[in-house]
Amino acid sequence: MQKRRISDYLMTALIWLSATATASILLIIVGFIFSNGWRLISPTFLTREANDTLRIVNFESESMVTAEIMGDLLVVEGIGLTLERDETYGIKVNHVAADAPGRHALDNAGEIFPIRRGQVLEGINEERIHGGTTLDEISTMFDNHSTFTFRIRQLGGGIFPMLISTLMLIFTTLLIATPLGVLAAIYMVEYAKQGRIVNMIRFAIEILAGLPSVVHGLFGMLFFSRILGLGMSVLSGALTLTVLLLPIMIRSTEESLKTVPNSYREASLGLGANKIQTIRKIILPSALPGITVGIILSIGRIVGESAALLFTLGTFARIPVNPATGNLSIFEAGATLTLRAFIEVQEFGNIEMASAIGIVILVIVFTLNLCSKLMTKKFGK
Amino acid sequence: METKFKIQDLNLFYGDFQALHNITLDLYENKVTALIGPSGCGKSTFLRTLNRMNDLIDNVKITGKILLDGRKDIYEKMDVIGLRTRVGMVFQKPNPFPMSIYDNVAYGPRCQGLKDKKKLDEIVEEALRGAALWDEVKDKLNKSGMSLSGGQQQRLCIARAIAMAPEVILMDEPTSALDPIATQKVEQLMGKLKEKYTIIIVTHSMQQAARISDKTAFFLMGEVIEFGDTDKIFTNPDKKETEDYITGRFG
Repeated sequence: MQKRRISDYLMTALIWLSATATASILLIIVGFIFSNGWRLISPTFLTREANDTLRIVNFESESMVTAEIMGDLLVVEGIGLTLERDETYGIKVNHVAADAPGRHALDNAGEIFPIRRGQVLEGINEERIHGGTTLDEISTMFDNHSTFTFRIRQLGGGIFPMLISTLMLIFTTLLIATPLGVLAAIYMVEYAKQGRIVNMIRFAIEILAGLPSVVHGLFGMLFFSRILGLGMSVLSGALTLTVLLLPIMIRSTEESLKTVPNSYREASLGLGANKIQTIRKIILPSALPGITVGIILSIGRIVGESAALLFTLGTFARIPVNPATGNLSIFEAGATLTLRAFIEVQEFGNIEMASAIGIVILVIVFTLNLCSKLMTKKFGK
Repeated sequence: METKFKIQDLNLFYGDFQALHNITLDLYENKVTALIGPSGCGKSTFLRTLNRMNDLIDNVKITGKILLDGRKDIYEKMDVIGLRTRVGMVFQKPNPFPMSIYDNVAYGPRCQGLKDKKKLDEIVEEALRGAALWDEVKDKLNKSGMSLSGGQQQRLCIARAIAMAPEVILMDEPTSALDPIATQKVEQLMGKLKEKYTIIIVTHSMQQAARISDKTAFFLMGEVIEFGDTDKIFTNPDKKETEDYITGRFG
């Protein structure tokens, strides 16, 4: 009697210990990411480019230009510009008036590159501005000029390109993987004669699901990027992810198809419906919740994947646009948020940036989980 | 009495197992024929051969002939979809689709390509009236068919079947999942339905068979032991096995 009590206590203690350990590990990870990354999170973090852009831009003034110092600000009348001193960057643009000619400034290639709030001014005409330049010195640079050449630095440090790349990758992958997976699952459940061959396909799918994703990545690099000549591109990444996601897609669809009661099939066929009608009108609608959950899980996987994309999508912090046309293109390389977080740490040792990206990923994954929970709850009834 | 189904030397095998043995039987038009017998005697299997529901199962082999209207072989001369629009089926457990009452009833006609809304409205109303359900659901046709009670669901399934304007309705123990009051309603309905349709019903309840059917076939071990007028089978059967079964000595 006594002995049994002690072992009971031990067991209870172990259970509590494990639960506490799990919860605290989770808390520590989330806390670590937040404490390291929260300083970088700002409204413009999501919309800024990743890298600085440096441009030489030209514009003209039609009226007299006078510069006046007001405290920390330098108000330049005539071109509607207010500059400010910044501890880190030197001189930053503080305000651009609505009618300011700088809004239509042209760069050396003849393209419009507007002067905006937040840009760093590194030079006016022939003179360079550096950390030690005073507002007084700058105000003299405007004297006796009506045409200006600004050396402008647009600050990067944002994740806009990765957001776009990630969205494009999710969209392209789902566009390929969902119909493929759902139709394959329909074949397996509704058409294939259950037996050796289907079991073999199922076995192959299990194996495919168990492969580490770096193997998928290597296959994708060899087959999609090299042999099919897609190079590093969104499409190559999406195709690789399709291979990776097919088992998940097929399995979740298969499971939900199997839960559709056989009586529905019999009733539908008994009413003179053919097989395709039965699948389209009865089976697929009933299986839709499961398919949707599969899609949401897949999005989570796409957001979190890195190894499979390293050599197929690339790790470039750029928006996948065709340089010739300027349009978004799935044949261009990019990087997802996760990949970029990895690269930031591996190449630049920038834990802060990686953590900030981590926060964004956490938010996305949390939202997705919430969606799938709501989905199951709504359809579960 | 017109013959609706003429069955000649029907044998059915599940793989190596023979489930039906040399069944020869005539089923008559506008009559209720009850198929009775102990569990596993093949009466449901037989019922499902009549609209080729057994096609859905792998490894089923059938020999012999089933002639619809006494002449057309349903396994050789008819396509299965055409057959099932003429021979409807109601299953043991009410199985409405997870869609509205209206859509449930309109499902069959829609699958045949009927799109005309007015025509569909007519068919749905007529079918629901035919299944004695109209008055109970006419105000909630857009509600899910699953929201109805068990008895109402089964009558919805009957309405769904008669919306196809079939000639025969097969019923596989249609009241076994219902309470006595719902059962009574469905039984009353069957009496009405036989004016327009030929009804073949599998039932476990001998009282039910006695109450509603005109003809009864007694199945045992995959064979038809005796077939004839219900009155005769229940009062003065020819075979000893039949008598033993209906008097409750086994089964």
